[in-house]
Amino acid sequence: MKKQTLSLLSAVAVAALLGTGATPAAAERTAKIAGFGAKSGVVRSFGVNTEAVMQAAVEHINSQGGVKLGDGSMAMLEMSFDDDRCNAEEGISVLRKIASSDALVAVGPTCSNVAEPLFGILQRSVDDAGDSGLRIPIFTDTAIKGGLAKISEWAFRNVPNETEMYRTLFLWVKENYPDLQTVYGGVEEDFAHSRFTWYNVMDTRAQEAGFEVVGFSKWLLADTNFTQQVREMKKAKPDFVALSSHPFTLCGILKEMNRQRVRPKLMIGLTSSSSMETLQGCSKAAEGIIIPSSFAPVTDAAKMVAKLADEKGGSADLHSAAAWEIVEVIAQVMESEGVMATEDSVQEDRRKIRDGLAKLETTNGLIGTIMREGDGEATKPYLYVHAQDGEWAVLHDPGAS
Amino acid sequence: MEIEIFGWTLLDYFQTIVDGVLYGATYAIIGIGFTLIFGVMDKLNLAYAATALAGAYFSWGVGTQIPLPAPVAYVISSIAAGGFGYLVYLCNFRYIPSGAPLASLLATVGMLLFLEELIVHSTQGMPQPYPALFDDVMLEWGDFGMRGDLLFVFCLCVLATVFLLYVLYRTKLGMATRAVAQQPVAAQLCGMSVQGTNSTTFVIAGAIGGIAGAMIGASVGILSPLLTVPVTVKGLIAAVIGGLGSIPGAIVGGLLIGAFENTFQLLRSVTERDMYVMLLLFAFLAFRPGGIFGTASRHE
Repeated sequence: MKKQTLSLLSAVAVAALLGTGATPAAAERTAKIAGFGAKSGVVRSFGVNTEAVMQAAVEHINSQGGVKLGDGSMAMLEMSFDDDRCNAEEGISVLRKIASSDALVAVGPTCSNVAEPLFGILQRSVDDAGDSGLRIPIFTDTAIKGGLAKISEWAFRNVPNETEMYRTLFLWVKENYPDLQTVYGGVEEDFAHSRFTWYNVMDTRAQEAGFEVVGFSKWLLADTNFTQQVREMKKAKPDFVALSSHPFTLCGILKEMNRQRVRPKLMIGLTSSSSMETLQGCSKAAEGIIIPSSFAPVTDAAKMVAKLADEKGGSADLHSAAAWEIVEVIAQVMESEGVMATEDSVQEDRRKIRDGLAKLETTNGLIGTIMREGDGEATKPYLYVHAQDGEWAVLHDPGAS
Repeated sequence: MEIEIFGWTLLDYFQTIVDGVLYGATYAIIGIGFTLIFGVMDKLNLAYAATALAGAYFSWGVGTQIPLPAPVAYVISSIAAGGFGYLVYLCNFRYIPSGAPLASLLATVGMLLFLEELIVHSTQGMPQPYPALFDDVMLEWGDFGMRGDLLFVFCLCVLATVFLLYVLYRTKLGMATRAVAQQPVAAQLCGMSVQGTNSTTFVIAGAIGGIAGAMIGASVGILSPLLTVPVTVKGLIAAVIGGLGSIPGAIVGGLLIGAFENTFQLLRSVTERDMYVMLLLFAFLAFRPGGIFGTASRHE
């Protein structure tokens, strides 16, 4: 009996040894990508969507064999995702943690108010030996406030260029709705993106296109009562309205417009509102609103990403879909720059990825080719979508005309 | 020729004040909950507005499974919030020594944040549509108009006050509640259950809060976790200005804040609006700390 037990234990031990012995032989090299964004608080859906899409992209690349390293071997991509709560201090803390790990590149953050100070702690210029800032490339999918990538040569963004989007949109409106002369604006005053887009983009682009801005109303992100703002709008009697507002307050203002029977001939919304949140919150009131968006499931690749994001418990929209494009670009750069993905080559690999990203002139996007700008920003293809029967439908493709 | 003051006509002011008073009804209902609990236990329950909205979210959740008419959703919200109120009592008051009021207060802050995160995680933070009554009704007389849904909320607020005053002054439960509020030891010696009365107060306050949560959701047509903190702050200010412990005070406080913030939004800007509400609060705390209907030394 004792002998039998000993044999059994020996067999188990041998099997265990074989098991552990087999591991290094079959071990896959891994190249780590660290995602981060808001996964708690009221902007949680942004982080959830980005994580789902990133995860889908990583699995997609790994299912095709992973990435080819500088020594010719293959490596699987491995990703993590941290929550920065849309808070600048937490974002900085998360990035410092990522920088001290063996992650080769970071993808995030969600919020512009995090991105701005975060980019500030990166080394400003890559060849400035006196600058002790963090040296890790960051590729941003969501934080959309204009011009942030200029802050550091380690920062890159794959966010749409709103200035260009609204410039062409207002021109298109002018051409297709010649009877429209006046526009009234609305701005979510306490949200960096909404403010920037109204004051620096919508207002000026509308005037450049020949519209008269007859006024604008302000509200706050957590406001629930819009009677006064809509009365102001009603008094101004505009031909159409342009609302720089995220889904929650957009829905509030649209419902109040319905209630007060303010029915402009056309409504234009903020890029970030071309999401499921708006349709879930107020699809009826939002019917017809036109929004420029850098994502819509109009190509086979975009349809696949939308499906995979859904399977991962997220949703592909103009922000999260950018994370797919980012992961694909990173994999491509890892191969082209000969990243080694070893313990000793982390800093060298980060520099290679940064230099590789900086060299790119174009990348493949889900709905077309993306132009990479010299300052780390992107010019992405976009479409005009409108809310139609509870869905976002493509209204016009400016790239096709 | 119309008379203008600071660039606005008298009708603009009247409209603004009426809009504010009507919307202030939601603050008033939340204020009633704060004041009811404070009146009985001499403690603040900062998780109150969160439980109110949790009730509304619960009814929304039921509504996603079975289509519900708006009034049924409101009733479910009220019942659920009553249940949440009881849970808050158990977690934050029942087992925390009565001699440590700060511990209860901080526990309710924790509960507020916990409920908020719970809502965020169960809905991914996405706004959810909530059924509204009289949502598209607008009563208009020339250039003057009143929102039908807010008028409905206002009427509910009045009904809630009448109901509470009836319960407090015409029922045995009310007598027990008042007795426990005034002399808990004596009430206990007379055979009244202090814990039973306290827990019933939390359930009643919670049920009223559930209606408030539903009305707030209905007034926008959407539920969002963004609502929790602003509603807590405004409801608490309503209760303080009206006089903590006074139900009519909470009503007047809520309506006053609604009118005040709307007027300053018209005169100044939406970004300065809350600053003036805070100044109003400071003014009351400095010159009339007991509020409109209370006395400064009530709990001394």
